[in-house]
Amino acid sequence: MSARFISIAAALVMLNASTALAQTKDTLTIDLPGDAATLDPHLQWNTDSYSIYRNIFDNLLTRDVKGEIVPQIASSWKYLDDKTIEFQIREGVTFQDGSKLTAEDVAFSINRIIDPKLKSPQLSQFDQIAKAEATSPTIVKMTTKSPYPALLAQLVKLSIVPKAYVEKVGDQEFNLKPLGSGPYKLVNWQKGVQSELEAYSGYWRVKPPFQHVVFRSVPDVSTRIADLKTGKADLIRDVPPDQAESVKGDSNSQILSVPTERVGYLFLNAQAGATKDVRVRQAIAYAIDSKALVEALLEGYGAPVNVVGAKPVFGYTEKVQGYAYDPEKAKELIKAAGAEGAKVEFLTSPAYSRATIEAIQQMVNDVGLNVEISSSDQATFLKRRQGDPANAGGLAFGAWSCACQDADGIIFPLFRTGSIWAKYSNGKYDALVDKARIILDQDERLKLYEQAYEILREDVPGLGLYQAYAVYGANKKLKWQPTANEAMFVTDMSWQQ
Amino acid sequence: MVRYAAERLIQAIIAIFGVLTIVFVVMHLSGDPTLLLVPQDASAEMIAQLRQQLGFDRPIWVQYLDYLRGLAHFDFGISVVQRVPAADIVASRVPYTVMLASGALLVAIGMGIPAGIVMATRRGGWLERLLTAIVVTGQSVPTFLSGIVLIFVFGVTLRWLPTSGSGDFVSLIMPSIALGALSMSTFARMTRISIIDELGKDYVRAGRARGLSLSAVVFRHVLRNAAIPVITIAALEIGNLLAGAVIVETVFAWPGIGQLAIQSIQSRDFLVVQVIVLLISFVYVMTSVLADLVYAIVDPRIRMAR
Repeated sequence: MSARFISIAAALVMLNASTALAQTKDTLTIDLPGDAATLDPHLQWNTDSYSIYRNIFDNLLTRDVKGEIVPQIASSWKYLDDKTIEFQIREGVTFQDGSKLTAEDVAFSINRIIDPKLKSPQLSQFDQIAKAEATSPTIVKMTTKSPYPALLAQLVKLSIVPKAYVEKVGDQEFNLKPLGSGPYKLVNWQKGVQSELEAYSGYWRVKPPFQHVVFRSVPDVSTRIADLKTGKADLIRDVPPDQAESVKGDSNSQILSVPTERVGYLFLNAQAGATKDVRVRQAIAYAIDSKALVEALLEGYGAPVNVVGAKPVFGYTEKVQGYAYDPEKAKELIKAAGAEGAKVEFLTSPAYSRATIEAIQQMVNDVGLNVEISSSDQATFLKRRQGDPANAGGLAFGAWSCACQDADGIIFPLFRTGSIWAKYSNGKYDALVDKARIILDQDERLKLYEQAYEILREDVPGLGLYQAYAVYGANKKLKWQPTANEAMFVTDMSWQQ
Repeated sequence: MVRYAAERLIQAIIAIFGVLTIVFVVMHLSGDPTLLLVPQDASAEMIAQLRQQLGFDRPIWVQYLDYLRGLAHFDFGISVVQRVPAADIVASRVPYTVMLASGALLVAIGMGIPAGIVMATRRGGWLERLLTAIVVTGQSVPTFLSGIVLIFVFGVTLRWLPTSGSGDFVSLIMPSIALGALSMSTFARMTRISIIDELGKDYVRAGRARGLSLSAVVFRHVLRNAAIPVITIAALEIGNLLAGAVIVETVFAWPGIGQLAIQSIQSRDFLVVQVIVLLISFVYVMTSVLADLVYAIVDPRIRMAR
């Protein structure tokens, strides 16, 4: 082989490499149903807001693709006693203005979000924390009010903000011009239109896969799909199952979906109306064919569940039997309760699929009850659902996620006596879930939740219908594995030509 | 004339004040934003605490007086959802709404008036039948359908126009057509009727008798006389176009105040809703006051009758 030939071949290889390099995608465009409400990560917690700001900020801890809690800004941690935990803070992390991230910033972030003056709607997720202090530049000591097993799961959602910058510019300015230590920095926020992010070259963990990311606010799903098909968007959030086919039919697009921790459930009022009788509640549980719901209405983007919970949730158990579809048994129970033809009000809001609500209504009517749907906007719906039992309707639909993947965030608020969602009271159940939230022994907690789920099965104050899937539409070249907690980390994505 | 204008202005202020009060009461009675702000697993105490921090636990009349006090100082308050002054949020959306309303008005007038002229002067012809079909379609197809059809045809299939967005002029074309279609039909019908009305009058017959062609009569004389009812419609349509774009703005992801209004109502972001209501009622009342004043200036008979 002549030297000349080799040099030509080498030149060709290099040419190839350089064109491949030139082809890497510069800007990733993501269509969300709405704009961020706030980009201050300590204020609003809703999917559109955190889809954006979690790319600007790092969290104290995070979850890997398998859902395990792993280090991020904290490199390790250890319990000093049941109520005190010490975090080792990673060195070499910088904020996007070049300043160093230290234990002071971490302690400040925790104390800021639990400070009532900030009026953070997220306070409830962190209110078990008493205080945090930096005991050295790399160590933060955190104290909880009582032993709190869900602490780490909640800290996955804690964004670390820069103390010096926040104190300098103030809360209002920080919300408009946020600055974090995450892989992307905010370049321009056109409120209500789009947020433009640019890769932070000094990011400690990985090289951000795209130089720019644009999050657009596109409320109508048909428009988001049209954007995807025409290449105006590379990734779109929240594709309803009945529209997924239209995305799949497009040669440049694909559907990315993942089972989430979110569970679709039916609330049954155990304290008022016809559903006060446990036989009526059990009858409704037997009357609903959740397998048919998942197949016909969710088109497979969901999985039937046996309890109000799902696999990614700590405390979920497969050992408790779900209710099988048995309309004959349901009719018998209704007859035994003397509830034939009893009126049951079914609360819902436009946030939930009307088809699903009507299908459930039909199934329950078929076994002898008289279900009437009453639909109101979300604010009114919540007011009634969380209010006085007598006015809370007999049935209501819900899609629950605490974004903490722990049963304490699901069945405690839903069914514990005195909780705003609970129209149900059982002392034995209360004792179990109370105990499970103040002990740290994981095996013991699992056992407690198993017993709690067994009681819920018997009493049916709520009925798990299905585990919801998150459904995204994406360009075929986008490689991304969505996660169970509905997070959208751009650093997990890549582009393949 | 001055006294007339002053009277109309005072009436206008009372009307706006009434609208503000009604909206304030209705919004507050139908639930407060606290429930929508907190995570699902928030406890009753946490919700009560946030409600108190945000001031929604106070009696409604205290909140109302507080609101009026702010208003008197041109302080519209801070959005509880976005934590930004409510007036700033609305102000940032106004240019988009004005752009879209102008585009739609251009479509409505630019297509509606010529169509009306043709329909009035070519009665019974195939062209009239075709235009009638278009006008009827324009006024009967709901915008959520026409919007999606436009996106599908010109955005997805032909790829001539962007499917959504607000950054450049071409993005304005489809939303303007979707929003302007209904007004276009109104203009076409009004123009047609006024011209037909005028065509039956003596001066037209006289003009034709002197040998003028139909088009010469129409363009030189009829149009000017037929214009007054059309101007009235235009004043009403401007109000409609500014306030009535909720669906079009949602379908095309156009960030105007219609989209903002619906989102703010859903999230019970009271203060933002109040600013929008204030703005829209102001525009409505002012266009009707202005229209009245313009008549008085344009038509001496109206001025004299006062």
